[in-house]
Parts: sequence; structure tokens; C-alpha cells
Amino acid sequence: MMTISIAKKKKPQSLIVDIFIWFFLIGFAIIILAPLAFMFTASLMPSSDVMRLPYPWIPKSFYWQNFWQAIRGNDGSFIYIRNIINSVIVAVSITLSTVFLAALTGYGLAKFPFKGRNVVFLLIMTTMMIPFEAIMIPLYLIVTNFGWQDSYIGLIVPFLTNAFGVFLMRQYLITFPDEVIDAARIDGASEFSIFWRIIIPNSMPAIATLAILTFRSQWDNLLWPLLVVQSEEMKTIPLYIIKFSTEKYTNEGAMMAVAVIASLPMFVLFFTLSKYFLSGSSLFSSRKG
Amino acid sequence: MAHKRRVHKGIERKKAIWGWIFVAPSLLFFSLFSFYPIANAFYTSLFKKDLLSLRPPKFVGIKQYTYLLTSPTFWNSVKATAIFTLGTFIPLVVFSLIFAAFIMSRKRFQKFFQMAYYSPAVLSSVVAAAIWLLILDPRGLANQFVNFLLNSPGVDHKWLASIGMVRFSTVLVYFWKYVGYFTIIFIAGMASVPRTLHEAARIDGANSWQAFWRITFPLIKPTTLLVSVVAMIQCLKTFSTQYLFVQSGAPRGPIDVITLNIYYTAIRDHRIGRASAMSIILFAIMLFFTWFQLKVSKSEEVSYM
Repeated sequence: MMTISIAKKKKPQSLIVDIFIWFFLIGFAIIILAPLAFMFTASLMPSSDVMRLPYPWIPKSFYWQNFWQAIRGNDGSFIYIRNIINSVIVAVSITLSTVFLAALTGYGLAKFPFKGRNVVFLLIMTTMMIPFEAIMIPLYLIVTNFGWQDSYIGLIVPFLTNAFGVFLMRQYLITFPDEVIDAARIDGASEFSIFWRIIIPNSMPAIATLAILTFRSQWDNLLWPLLVVQSEEMKTIPLYIIKFSTEKYTNEGAMMAVAVIASLPMFVLFFTLSKYFLSGSSLFSSRKG
Repeated sequence: MAHKRRVHKGIERKKAIWGWIFVAPSLLFFSLFSFYPIANAFYTSLFKKDLLSLRPPKFVGIKQYTYLLTSPTFWNSVKATAIFTLGTFIPLVVFSLIFAAFIMSRKRFQKFFQMAYYSPAVLSSVVAAAIWLLILDPRGLANQFVNFLLNSPGVDHKWLASIGMVRFSTVLVYFWKYVGYFTIIFIAGMASVPRTLHEAARIDGANSWQAFWRITFPLIKPTTLLVSVVAMIQCLKTFSTQYLFVQSGAPRGPIDVITLNIYYTAIRDHRIGRASAMSIILFAIMLFFTWFQLKVSKSEEVSYM
């Protein structure tokens, strides 16, 4: 009853404000979505249409050659397919190892009292303050010394786990009931099988968030592959995009087809797991100190 | 009794051992790939060391730092980074706050707006830069759009050519990609403000403008500060947009941010020592902001009572 009587009291001025807000939000939604719409529509147009004045927002007919050109490459080597596979291998293996190691360490820190535990936790947290950009040169030297440049090992190993993941898993597992763990111990389960059979299946919300954040940041990684990779065969998607877009004889429609292919997995993940995407971002707001 | 205590102690010891076993892999990893590299960067910054050179590195003390502090190219990088960071993070914070407040004021389509505004953040930053490279082309959408607004057909605004415009263009790409991301963070912050406070304000006769400035805004102050610092640290690390633009022919000078300079100094010029010194300076700057963030977020705990 209360809300109804308040709603009726609306002044005409607030109606104007209301309409303004709708226009503002819809206007910006269009502006923000326009470049995405441009990417999708341009990928289906011949380059002569992509740069036409004014831009024809709807493709006359679907020009699929762009996608063929994107995959074939300018030199007909089909290296993009290999580069996509590289990106998948690197991003998936880093995600799996990050989730596993962060859960393992987070569990150790949350549920096993030992001397120096706080020091260990603090040490791991301080690494969050070391930006990758500040250590990329020494990391590059380490990887070169090991002879790992231009290989999957070189692309993967420096990212096997990360401090934010450990922090996330520890915070999540700290509230996990001790009774469940003790009951499993009494039943004779080994420590590792408790972790594998009880802790992992019960941490799925945190694991999903961490997995998405990790996968996305690796799919996006340009700087490290740029340092480590030399051969065309070992390039990842971002490097292929750089190469494709800076080659003089590139064509704009095919360029956007390259971009669409590169973004497709992320869009599929986003629309199916938008809950985790959005909560992953908002983690920052609950991350105090 | 004594037996029982011994058993208990045994369990404690066992637990401690398992704790160490569980944290050991990560500890080893962080020592090797975080602590050692940062120590190494600091150490290397004291040497004149060339990539691929067989000459042994020569100890030069703080000379790399004094060189950088008097080098116009380095100061140009500092300037480019500062311009980019300030030019990006302020509009990011202001607009994401406005977007979040407006989206929260709607009863319908909240989820739709959240997803629409967030969607550019899903793209990889290289893809974002590639899209904008075409939009900012002399024949592209950006010129068409601005000329439509200003009714000035056929003018080229030199998005990727003139000093000011190329700076503005990188800001635009970054703003577009991340504004939705910070909007979501603000929305989460606003959602945690208890509804009863708003209802009480309504009953007391406050309009939504007053309710926002007097209730929501003060209560989400921690979120605002956090978003500001996170956005600032993000901006300091920018690389992909600038790199792709430079590769595609934009002038490097105006957008030669520190990360780009480190990359070129180490990989193109082979000056590892100097690049390491720059890395340490970047690290110090970011450490300061992180410390600042921790300080603010600790002192700004809100209670709703």
C-alpha cells in the first residue's frame, strides 16, 4: 500500500527526469554497442562496403569469403587455425592449473593451522602488488635461460597459479564446515582425497569465477606471447590479429572476421555464464584490504 | 588422558605437515616467478646489460636511474602515461557511477543494460583496438559520426595522426572497453545499501536526487575509492591499444606509455639494464597506489547503523 501511495505522488518534473534517464541509458547503450555491431556487420561485407560513406549497417548479402580469408590468411598458410589451437591449449591449461593450485593452497591456508601460516599468506598476498609489467623482462630472461622460448612451456609456466586465486579460494573455504572434513577423516579418507572429493566439488561457485577470470585474462594476453614467441606456428590469437591488421594488403572485412572468430568463445561464455562474469567483476567491491 | 593428548598432538602435527604440503607448490611457484624476478629486475637495473650480448654486464650503480631521470624520452613516457591515466580514469569513474545510478533507478531492463554496457569488456583488448582502428580510419565511422553531429561533411579529424587526437583515441578505446566493467562494480556496491534506508528517506519526503546524494553516494564511498584506484592501476598498465596503434602507423611519441617504452627498450634496443630500471620505477609507482588503496579501503569501512 505504501509504495502505491508514494508512486502516485510523483511530480510532473520527475516524469521529465524519468524520460531523460531512459533516453540517456538507451542512447549510451546504442553508442556502446555500435562498435560491436560494426564488427559483426563488417565481417559479413566486402571491404568496399565496410569503408563506404555512410556506413551501410545491414549487409546486403552475407559475404562469407571474409571468414575464409581470415582463416586462410594473406599467404594461404591457414596458420590462424594453428594459432587458435595454441590459444586454447595455453588458456585451458593455465586455467586448469590455476584452479587446482589456487584451491590446493587456499585450502591449506584456510583449514590447516601450522607455524608460519600467516607469513606464507602474507608473502603470497604481496605478490599481488608486483605487476606483471615490472617483472616481464627478468621473466623473459629466466625463460630464455631455460631454453623455453617459442614453446608451450614458455607460454604456460609463468602463469601456473596466481595470488588473487589463492586469496579467493582461501576466503571461500574459510567458512567451509570443519565437521565435514573431520567426518571424512574418521571415515579413513586420505587428506588428498578429501581435497579432491569434498573440497573441489563444494567450491564450484568460486572455482567458476576464478576459471572465467583466468581464462579471459589469458585469452587476452598479448605482452607475454609477444616476448616469448618468435615463430608463426607458436603465435596465439592476439599476435595473429596484430600481424593480420598491420599487413599492408589486409582487407577490412576479413580483419573483422578475424576479430569475430577471436571473440566468439568469450561471447558464448558470456551469454551462458553471465552470472559468473558479472559476479567476477563485482568481487572487487567486496575485496577490502 | 596423557595418551589422548599425545594423539591430539599427533593430529595437530599431521595437519601442519599437510598444510605445508598443500601450500608448497604455490610457494615454490611464487618464489620462482614473482619474488626472484622482482629482485632480479632490481639487481639488473644496476648494470649496463645488453640482450644477446656476450660481453659481461658492467656494474653502473644508479646510473641507469640518473640517466632516465634526465632523459627526455623517459619523461615523455611519464607524461604520456600520466595523460592517458588521468584522461581515462576520471571519465571512467564519473560515467560508471552515473550509469550505475541510472540503471539502479530503473525497475525494468536492469539486466539488459548491465549486459549491454558490460559487453565490450568481454572482448580481448587487441580485438577492441582492431575494431577501433577501422572506426578511426579516415574513411571510418568516427569521422562520419562527428561530421554528422557538427554538420561538417568530409572533414578528417586525424584520429590516428595528430598528437592530441591519437592520445584521445587511445583514451576512447579504453573508456569504451572498461566503463561497463566498473559500472557493474558500482551496481554491486549500490545493491549492498539496505533498501530500508531508501524507503525511510522516501517516507521523509526525499526525492530520488536527494536520496542518491545523501544516502547512496556517502555509503558507496568505499566502492568509489576502490574503483578509482583499481581503474588507475589498470590504466598505468595499458599496452595493447598503444602497441597496435603504433604498429599500424600511428606516431609513437604521444602514446609511448611506460609499458610500451619498456618493451621497445628491452626488445628493440636490447637495453635490459635500462628497461629493468624503468620496470622498477613503474613498480614503485604502482606500489604507491596499491598501498594507497589498502589504506583507504581499511579506513573506510561503512556501517549502516
